[in-house]
Amino acid sequence: MMSFIDRLLEQRARSAAQQAPRRGMLKALGGVLVGASTLPLLPVARAAGPDVASRPQETGSDTDCDYWRYCAIDGFLCSCCGGSANSCPPGTEMSPVTWIGTCHNPADGRNYVISYNDCCGKPGCGACLCQRDEGDRPPYRPDKTNDINWCLGTSSAAYHCSAAVVVGVAFEE
Amino acid sequence: MVKQSLFVALLTAIGMLVSAEEIRPPLAVEPTGIIETLPGRYPADWFLVHDAAFFHMSDGKVVVLDTTKDSVGEQVQGMFPVSLMGTFIEAQSRGEIFAVETFHTRGTRGHRIDVLTIWDTVNLSAVAEVILPVGKRFMGMPERVALQLMNGDRWLAIFNLSPSTTVTLVDLEARAVMGEVPIPGCSFIYANGDMGLSALCADGRMLTVVLNDDGSEKSRVMSEVFFDSDESPIFERPAVVDNIAYFPAFDGRVQPVAMTGSAALPMASWPLYGSGEETWAPSGIGIDGEDDLGRIYFLMNAEANGVDGMHNAGGSEIWVFDPEARRRVLRIPLEAWGLSLAVSRGEEPKVLVTNPTDMSVELYDGLTGSFIKNITGFGQETPLLLRGAQ
Repeated sequence: MMSFIDRLLEQRARSAAQQAPRRGMLKALGGVLVGASTLPLLPVARAAGPDVASRPQETGSDTDCDYWRYCAIDGFLCSCCGGSANSCPPGTEMSPVTWIGTCHNPADGRNYVISYNDCCGKPGCGACLCQRDEGDRPPYRPDKTNDINWCLGTSSAAYHCSAAVVVGVAFEE
Repeated sequence: MVKQSLFVALLTAIGMLVSAEEIRPPLAVEPTGIIETLPGRYPADWFLVHDAAFFHMSDGKVVVLDTTKDSVGEQVQGMFPVSLMGTFIEAQSRGEIFAVETFHTRGTRGHRIDVLTIWDTVNLSAVAEVILPVGKRFMGMPERVALQLMNGDRWLAIFNLSPSTTVTLVDLEARAVMGEVPIPGCSFIYANGDMGLSALCADGRMLTVVLNDDGSEKSRVMSEVFFDSDESPIFERPAVVDNIAYFPAFDGRVQPVAMTGSAALPMASWPLYGSGEETWAPSGIGIDGEDDLGRIYFLMNAEANGVDGMHNAGGSEIWVFDPEARRRVLRIPLEAWGLSLAVSRGEEPKVLVTNPTDMSVELYDGLTGSFIKNITGFGQETPLLLRGAQ
């Protein structure tokens, strides 16, 4: 589902940050991150370190809008609504039809296909509104849009929150 | 002695007050049951403000707002509901407003009903309804291109996304569903002549379907490919002047498409930005509009061009163009930020803009670009889409 308030607040914050003295460093860091996401991945080399087993497979909080899985999400985070990043809150119904995004997991350096399943059947959760439109396209690309209510194929059309389920490693182009 | 004099004076004063009250006539007894009505055609400075109630979507509503007034009591003219991320369109020729909405029998659960509710513009009363095929209608962020009037305003075309895409055709005279037009792989409804509808396709083309008088299909034609929905997407929301739909693009250009009545013909695109402005691009929800002077309006963001994920953020300025000359004629700097805009009809257009920093709406002069007023406190929470009165 589409939301907007967080995006606007984030946008304003970004503008303010870009006007701060740290601007050069932040922009450079951003460029490195963007560049890294487009480079071919080297999972073997990355996994070769001696402490690989002890490294977390994911980092960050799933109640934070900046959490890596939420790169193309738009709505209330189910992890703030009684569910989790990949599960719906009690008594709701998970939509079997979804939109997808491709998000970069900084913990293992891989890109993953994320299925954004809406949880349906109760009023809007109202907590942790989060909008990050990376890769989002208008609804004429239904597979890539977060502008529609994805409570499709469910018994109720009422939108409650959105989960972000890992459904596979993304192929590199 | 002094006390006695004061006492007498006090009694005299009270007596005078009582006399005055006896002389002033009491308020007349008022009749009950008075219900206000609205003019047959809403004035040019009235807007329809769609509050999608994002936090409680079953309570979506549209507020009829007179922007010439300065107090809430005078600004708010009335309201009608549009439940569960509904869509609406005004048909001035019919004196009716059509709203597509969804209900469940137990609020957010129970039997689902999708319905076209027909409101008369004078009484803002629901005068009729048409039950729609269940589970099909497009439900999402408010869109101006989810509904379209056709055939001299006798038909209403309703965009469906389930997620297969079709158009439900409703006979507004008979108040009945006529049929369904498949538009596989394509979305939304763009007017193309009186009997035609076009749709924007995922493969970068436009489909045009022309209908016969009975609603059956007369012709179906696809345009050439004119955009890449992955690499160079256009927004689905065009400004329309003289049967040319001007689709803004993510990359700051505008893609005109001529609606010939039988086909959609893409024309040469051109940049909205000038030299030194290459970082600007359209951004927001209701990001464009047109006026009766033939000018087109776009909400612009100074950082959105080439930045993935910035296309819905809104912008700090509105740019106004003469589309024939491909020339910008006005920049409107916004007081804070804009998310959606609408332009009023007439020779002196006004621009109403949603300010998402406090969810108020702001009025600007479309000729000079000057800020006129902020309007808030009229019961709005998330006024995501605005429309000028027809």
